[in-house]
Amino acid sequence: MRMLAVFEKNERIRHIGHLDIQRSVQRGLRRSGLPVAYSQGFNPHILITFASALSTGACGKREIMDVTMAGEVSEDEFLTRMNRAMPPEMQLKEAKKIDDRHPSLMGSLRAAVYDLKIRDRSQAEILIRAIPSMMAKDRIVTMRKTKTKLAECDIKPLIYALRGEGCDIFATLALTERESCKPQMLTEALKAEAGMTDEVRMLVIREGLLGENESGELIPLERL
Amino acid sequence: MDIRDRFERALERVQKAPRYTGGEMNTAIKKWEEAPLHFGFCFPDTYEVGMSHLGMKILYGLINQESWSLCERFFMPWTDMIALMKEDDIPLLSMESRRPLNEFDVIGFTLQYEMSYSNILAMMDMGGVPLEGSERGEKDPMVVAGGPCAFNPEPLAPFIDAFMIGDGEDVMTELNRVILQRKQQGWGREKCLLELAKLEGVYVPSLYQVSYDDEGRVTRVTPKGEDIPERVRKRVVTNLNDTYYPEEIPVPYTEVVFDRIMLEIMRGCTRGCRFCQAGMLYRPVRERSMDTLIHLAEKLQESTGYEEISLSSLSSGDYSCLPELIRELMKRMKDKRVSISLPSLRIDSVLKESLEETQQVKKTSLTFAPEAGTQRMRDVINKGVTEEDLLEKVRDAFHGGWNSVKLYFMDGLPTETTDDLDGIADLARKVVSEYFAVPKDQRARGLRVTVSVSIFVPKPFTPFQWAGQDTLETIQKKTEYLKKVLDIKGVTFNWHEPYVSFLEACFARGDRRLGKVLRKAYEKGCILDGWNETFRYDLWMESFRECGLDPAFYANREREREETLPWDHIDSGISKDFLWRENEKARKGETTKDCRKGCNGCGLQKWRGVCGYANAGCV
Repeated sequence: MRMLAVFEKNERIRHIGHLDIQRSVQRGLRRSGLPVAYSQGFNPHILITFASALSTGACGKREIMDVTMAGEVSEDEFLTRMNRAMPPEMQLKEAKKIDDRHPSLMGSLRAAVYDLKIRDRSQAEILIRAIPSMMAKDRIVTMRKTKTKLAECDIKPLIYALRGEGCDIFATLALTERESCKPQMLTEALKAEAGMTDEVRMLVIREGLLGENESGELIPLERL
Repeated sequence: MDIRDRFERALERVQKAPRYTGGEMNTAIKKWEEAPLHFGFCFPDTYEVGMSHLGMKILYGLINQESWSLCERFFMPWTDMIALMKEDDIPLLSMESRRPLNEFDVIGFTLQYEMSYSNILAMMDMGGVPLEGSERGEKDPMVVAGGPCAFNPEPLAPFIDAFMIGDGEDVMTELNRVILQRKQQGWGREKCLLELAKLEGVYVPSLYQVSYDDEGRVTRVTPKGEDIPERVRKRVVTNLNDTYYPEEIPVPYTEVVFDRIMLEIMRGCTRGCRFCQAGMLYRPVRERSMDTLIHLAEKLQESTGYEEISLSSLSSGDYSCLPELIRELMKRMKDKRVSISLPSLRIDSVLKESLEETQQVKKTSLTFAPEAGTQRMRDVINKGVTEEDLLEKVRDAFHGGWNSVKLYFMDGLPTETTDDLDGIADLARKVVSEYFAVPKDQRARGLRVTVSVSIFVPKPFTPFQWAGQDTLETIQKKTEYLKKVLDIKGVTFNWHEPYVSFLEACFARGDRRLGKVLRKAYEKGCILDGWNETFRYDLWMESFRECGLDPAFYANREREREETLPWDHIDSGISKDFLWRENEKARKGETTKDCRKGCNGCGLQKWRGVCGYANAGCV
């Protein structure tokens, strides 16, 4: 049996990296006393996968993990016991039993919904004003940072939705194992469109992760 | 923008932000308004070091357990964070509620090693607390300190209002109660200090006058009032089973130095190694019962989810039912996939059996501390361990599938000669041979022998408290020599820079006048002296010069038996006569037996019932 769980990484701990988040969840599972399955081998670890690594500095409202259980446990019990075992900064929102044959989270992931909170109101206004003209273009070229180099990349096909309101930019961006658009790539493109060179301070909130259903619609990954 | 927003902005720009964010498991304990007394626990080093420290976890739990007191943590920020905090006018904030240090009623520093002293000043300064007691007013917090370095409190005397000497568990609550009264009854600082001085184990330095002779040696330390004790007697917790131990401890998100459950199985040590300050200060030896330990281990495992438990004490191998304890812990922890590790293994006490049990879960590197290279020198320091003991344990370990051994030594010990340095290399070579003596198909591949040699620092309340430390030149020559003789295949040699040890020697046995040097050095920019990249030896020497004090007077000078030592008014329970006798025996290479084999009359016998091995009738 597998348990799919939706959890939050809140603002206070947004600088904690993915590996540390993983370890914290594992320790949380160990504290919970829930019957989790361990890997075989010399250094056994809990069988757990995360739909997507959330980058350091970003917080997540509905991050998703997939835990393999060694015994039966109800969704409610999983939720209650985990929330007692996790710090207030990393509470679970939802737990859902899934079948062992359920496809992997990572493979089903298509996109992520972001709320980018621009700290400076006037900057936010300028960036939001640049949205229509940028989106009217055929190609939106920005730089993608890889481990070794900077490469040009067209993010137009990777932006599924984009709007702004007040200090917030709401965006749905492609996020798959093959290609994805990071929030920073989007804001860089908007800055270029607006002719802005200042540094933009923003809080990246990943609101949720999306997968694709049979009819080709993007729906929350946990609903697949 | 308010302080917390500015702090958030700094976090976006700093390296290793997680060390400042807080919000760890088991730290959301209570709200500010829930308790009238607010205690700011300050660890004067980085988060990663501080969060590895057991004492802090004990006191953090203890203070928060009382309904009327609340404890939050403070750590020393790294240089990049300090720069951002200065730039944006951000004070030192607590990990929990992010409040500035000066909003707390009492702030307490733990004194683990001398090289953290400048951080104490830095933390107070950043936290808006005037550095010296005499500069603090009625609105400022009381500043207290405890830990092993509190046994020679003098160099910190100007900065700390009250020191807690000895075990902290009982005195902590008593001290907090007094400070709560200051707050609730509006006592002035003076009144509060007088009340604190009445508590057993509390030393209030401003209530003592120190006199010196022309050479700068202390001649007398006199209390300034009739109610003030002439000597401050250390606190001793007699039964560890009745003493508070936390069942929940903070679990950091990021990896810290010791990221595991530390189970203090006993306190104190009966071995009597003559260089070891902890071995004297933490006397007498007191064990926690197996029942208590197993209960604690289970509770802590449930509340932390840690994967590892280490049995912690000065000499875990001496715990009277160690094999039973390990077996029982293994049995209960195996299904939870928790490994048990034994640090500070003494090579004469590890049972082959328990070695085999440890590897059942995980094979870690084995650590041995022969401390000296020859039997003569080991007799001088009373390290009752023979070469054959060591080699036998190493042999067992290699046969048992270990491939990594760490050996710890010291150089610069009293009476040391070149032979003793050669002895270190000989021992390392013999360890390597033991590995190759195991048939190839029966040993783990990839031998790693690490030889670490630290520089001996004479410490108060040890038989070597009168000794001069080797000069910098001598130490440097010895290190060069060791580099040559330890150039052995399969052996890695780690050595220490002598400058830090030299300064450590000054402060370890310093007097009250060193407070000036400390302040000057801090003002010149000395902080984080325990770290190579930030240690500024030049600035420290400049500060000594400008204060008209000679560091060699403190570090390298051999003291006379009759000399009044700056810490003579602190009563550790160990008599000066005993220490002198031990010093004389050391010079003759005579050993002293383990207290378990009979009382050696260290002085504790005068406190009846405190030491289980004391013979009230002996010397």
